[in-house]
Amino acid sequence: MLLERVRLSNFRNYASLDVEPAPGLNIFIGSNAQGKSNLLEAIAMLATGKSFRAHREAELVRSGALVAEVGGDARIAAGRLRLRCSIDRSAGSTRKTFDVNGAAVGFARFLGRARVVTFVPADLALVAGSPALRRTFVNAALAQASPAYYRDLALYAKIIGHKAALLRGAVAPDRDLLLAYNDELLAPGRSLMGARSAFIAEIAAASATIYERWHAAHERVRVTYAPNTGKTDLAEALAANVDNELRRRQTLVGPHRDDLRFELEGRPLAAYGSQGQQRTAVLALKVAEYEVMRARAGDAPILLLDDVLSELDAQRAAGFLAALDAFEQAFLTATELPAGLAPSIAGFVVRDGRLSRLAC
Amino acid sequence: MFHLLNRPRADAQALADAIVALKDRVQLCSRCFAITEDDPCDICCDPQRDAALLCVVAEPKDIYALERTAAYNGRYHVLGGVIAPMDGIGPAQLRVRELIERIALDDPREVVVATNPNAEGEATALYLSRLIAPSGVRVTRLAYGLPIGGDLDYADEGTLAKALEGRRVLA
Repeated sequence: MLLERVRLSNFRNYASLDVEPAPGLNIFIGSNAQGKSNLLEAIAMLATGKSFRAHREAELVRSGALVAEVGGDARIAAGRLRLRCSIDRSAGSTRKTFDVNGAAVGFARFLGRARVVTFVPADLALVAGSPALRRTFVNAALAQASPAYYRDLALYAKIIGHKAALLRGAVAPDRDLLLAYNDELLAPGRSLMGARSAFIAEIAAASATIYERWHAAHERVRVTYAPNTGKTDLAEALAANVDNELRRRQTLVGPHRDDLRFELEGRPLAAYGSQGQQRTAVLALKVAEYEVMRARAGDAPILLLDDVLSELDAQRAAGFLAALDAFEQAFLTATELPAGLAPSIAGFVVRDGRLSRLAC
Repeated sequence: MFHLLNRPRADAQALADAIVALKDRVQLCSRCFAITEDDPCDICCDPQRDAALLCVVAEPKDIYALERTAAYNGRYHVLGGVIAPMDGIGPAQLRVRELIERIALDDPREVVVATNPNAEGEATALYLSRLIAPSGVRVTRLAYGLPIGGDLDYADEGTLAKALEGRRVLA
């Protein structure tokens, strides 16, 4: 897909903005705190309906304003797409509304109309950080790709919430109720595990090719799905742990405790890989996510890269930039124009919530 | 309020009496816990009703929804909510014990669980079926499906997926 126009009003430090990005690579250059990342955040919201970094969505509304809006016009395989997301904080709490091609829709129907793959500095912790980070990566990608996955995930989380409250003692202990929750978890739980297993297998296959392309075969990392239940069927694993869960008073089994495993020559990458190898693995994972999403949707997602070059050494950065040629449309933020870029790129200078086209 | 001020005093008195009467006369049926003026309620007293068919609902208002269908001729049991530990509601906060005692006493042929098709309604149904199973009474659940006269194109994916799961054999 191709984002042809982005409009912001009262979003973060942008009072108003109307920009027409180019196909291929778009670079936003500016010093810190000028609004580079805010632009990527806005574009990501058009796909995911959520901010990838705000803790409170009221932060998205420019100070002094009550309503922020992000709008985008895109060309997709199926035609044209007009998206709008507005964030209203006038009523004390924040309320978001969405529309697609002029018609109001709920969050679930907005999600995934546009698709993005985001890469932010925090993603570099994917390998060594907590399993929750890796689950979020998988969930975010799959929720964009499939409304059914998002629905199963929301249902599963609700059931687990009640089950955890029961085990914690929010209501009187009740073994039958625990078993009822275990029964209820099976259908959405199995769907989630099936979707994750298929997706991660595709990611693993795609990332192998990416290592080839980067001539980094010596760094090749294998990524595999590590379900919390191992090889055991979910129903059996839940049944086998009923007493355990009652004793420990917490949920112990199920896909809410799944993980992704990164291995370098059969050993855990987090423990045995260098910083550089871990970063390359994350880059490969993200590019693989891009390839898998493109193959599944028959349409390329938009790639958003927030300040990633500064995290890479010169050689890796050069290799990465060279690979960006293959993308239909990408947005990159940087503090200065990177060396060795193709002349065809569209550069923008970001300064205090304003954009100007860079002559190059 | 302005409307009332323009009306005779008697009208205001009638309205006030009606509100007081609502509080005084309306009570819960001691058998099914529906809202009623007479205890037991009309449905529990009706000899034309199938006493061997029991429908479990979360709230009294659900009875009116089912009665409007005119397709159900059994009796009801109102739980008074659904199980939701995150909100502090467990079986003890609902009329679950009363339901089990009633089943033991009346020995119905079938219990239809008509809770809402969401996480809490489904958990409540699964829990009740576990409790009732040892008695040998058949427990059923309302089917998920498409709205009558609806359009496939407008159905949300969740409903459509459930309708596909619950499809019937025609030939």
